[in-house]
Amino acid sequence: MILPFLIIIPLLGAFSMPIISLLGEKARSTWAVLVSSLTLGVASKVFYDVWSTKQLMVYTLGDTTPLGNGVGFPIRILWEVDLFGGLLALIVAFIGLMAIIYSTEYIKHDTGLEKYYTLILILELGMLGIVITGDMFNFYVFLEIMSIASYALVAFRNDTWEGIEAGIKYMFVGSLASSFILLGIALLYGQYGTLTMSYLAVKIAQNPTLVSKVALGFLIGGLLFKSGAVPVHMWLSDAHPAAPSSISAMLSGLVIKVGGVYALARIAFSIYATSISIKTVGWIIIFFGCVTLIVGNAMAVIQTDMKRLFAFSSVGQMGYILLGIGIGLASYGTKVGDIALAGAIYHTINHALMKALLFLVAGAVLHQVGTKNLNELSGLAKKMPLTSFAFLIGAAAIVGLPPLNGFASKWLIYESSALYNPFLAAMAVLGTAFCTAAYIRVLFTFFGRPSEVVENAEEPGKAMIIPMLVLIFAIILMGLFPWQISDKVMLPTADMLKDQVHYIVAVMGGA
Amino acid sequence: MIPLQFISAFLLVFMGLYAFLYKRNLIKLILALNIIDAGIHLLLISFGYRLEDGRLPTAPIYTGYETLKGTPMVGPIPQALVLTSIVIGVCILALAMALTINAYRHYGSLDINKLRRLRG
Repeated sequence: MILPFLIIIPLLGAFSMPIISLLGEKARSTWAVLVSSLTLGVASKVFYDVWSTKQLMVYTLGDTTPLGNGVGFPIRILWEVDLFGGLLALIVAFIGLMAIIYSTEYIKHDTGLEKYYTLILILELGMLGIVITGDMFNFYVFLEIMSIASYALVAFRNDTWEGIEAGIKYMFVGSLASSFILLGIALLYGQYGTLTMSYLAVKIAQNPTLVSKVALGFLIGGLLFKSGAVPVHMWLSDAHPAAPSSISAMLSGLVIKVGGVYALARIAFSIYATSISIKTVGWIIIFFGCVTLIVGNAMAVIQTDMKRLFAFSSVGQMGYILLGIGIGLASYGTKVGDIALAGAIYHTINHALMKALLFLVAGAVLHQVGTKNLNELSGLAKKMPLTSFAFLIGAAAIVGLPPLNGFASKWLIYESSALYNPFLAAMAVLGTAFCTAAYIRVLFTFFGRPSEVVENAEEPGKAMIIPMLVLIFAIILMGLFPWQISDKVMLPTADMLKDQVHYIVAVMGGA
Repeated sequence: MIPLQFISAFLLVFMGLYAFLYKRNLIKLILALNIIDAGIHLLLISFGYRLEDGRLPTAPIYTGYETLKGTPMVGPIPQALVLTSIVIGVCILALAMALTINAYRHYGSLDINKLRRLRG
């Protein structure tokens, strides 16, 4: 069984980091790259196994069967991976590896780097834990591991006020959201006496009480906080720009999706599904999705700080994903719902790649030029052509130009929202118009007349170029086969996420 | 009728929320987070407590089970959950304190409204 190694390897790597770093700087970064590559290997194996067999992977901690001795219900902590979890594990390990390779050059002038690498591996570990877990409290523990590591990483450069201020805001909002999630889990435990997700699903289907609905409210509230939906997005636009760029890439690309959207989809589809009035829940998420995608993209237009612009754009793109999930819930069981859900999952993956690339570009500019103010950066394309090309690809993909990967996922979301309710499609297209405006502005800055700030700029070192090139390659490759990927990976993933019966039977046996 | 401990748990949560929303001192905000956590812990612990025929439950000790036979026991799982959650709470507390000290160094104040330099 390969699944436990998904946790064991980064955990061991993280806590052996201080010892390894006694051997010197080189050993430290080599160890970090090695550990995260191994994690990527395990994650691809897990994804391939789940994808090729179309079976859920169940692993029980400390025993061979999740069921108790002589009783017909699960009493142990268990991990349960479906295709959505496997896919996200793969992308988490991939972006994590890219961010770590990038860090070896980007952050080498800072001190206390063994703590940095320890924290970044713990962050990766927490996200991997969230996507494979099948137990509510285990989910909470991994969520907190991920959150605490990301609070600390946002405030990593504690000699600057930006990091500290953003870290404090992020920490207070995030802890409050975690408390809401814990309260929801506590209410579910009090009502049903179990924490296993699949058994909770059975219990809720038998007896959907008011308490279970209140618990769902707390859970959705907390997870919308964590995913940066609009009324509560303020922490995101502070925290993501203030973090070191390699961390911003992980925060924007992964943390808000794994800790927000993935958990939301898992709870809504695998635990509640048809036990509650799913249409209402779907419309609540659609509402937040629409507000998020309009406000996030519109706020991105007026930013002068490049990283802040990307952060607001992340808020906007989260809106599309929430919209897709909301339509998937509201039209549960229809063809439109399948397409919307597949589009949301596809966009989660695509946005992770694109936003990671864009933040790496911003980091390269910040590292080489020393400013991220767009008014001072004009004419960068002549001095840093490769970085500008990376930006061009990332921006074109995020706007949704046809030969790149963003097009297919956005198309699926537009198509399903137009079929479900044309008004929603109009909102989505309006959001994209704002998004285009924001990125065109940066584009004009990059290709404008050179200013004196960028006179002496040059391309960054190899360790920063390679992750960008790999991400560009991934974006173009995914853009070349959009419908094949959609048919082979995303639609089965959406089917598997919706298949609540299968999720329950995998744990409970044929009962 | 709702048991008293559930009411007091939710009172604690709402007290913490009130303090979180209306206080401006960073230390008080950290205390507010801890009060919310304490409320949730009280709620969880009281889920494990049950009275059977009016007899007080004992600790869930299985080694001396023969002598305690017939006595109701408290649920052990909520205690494990609360223990885990307390440890997580301590991590957050430590990190929050460290960040607060750093914020005081940079801003010379503990007022959350003074932490307003990031904008745009």
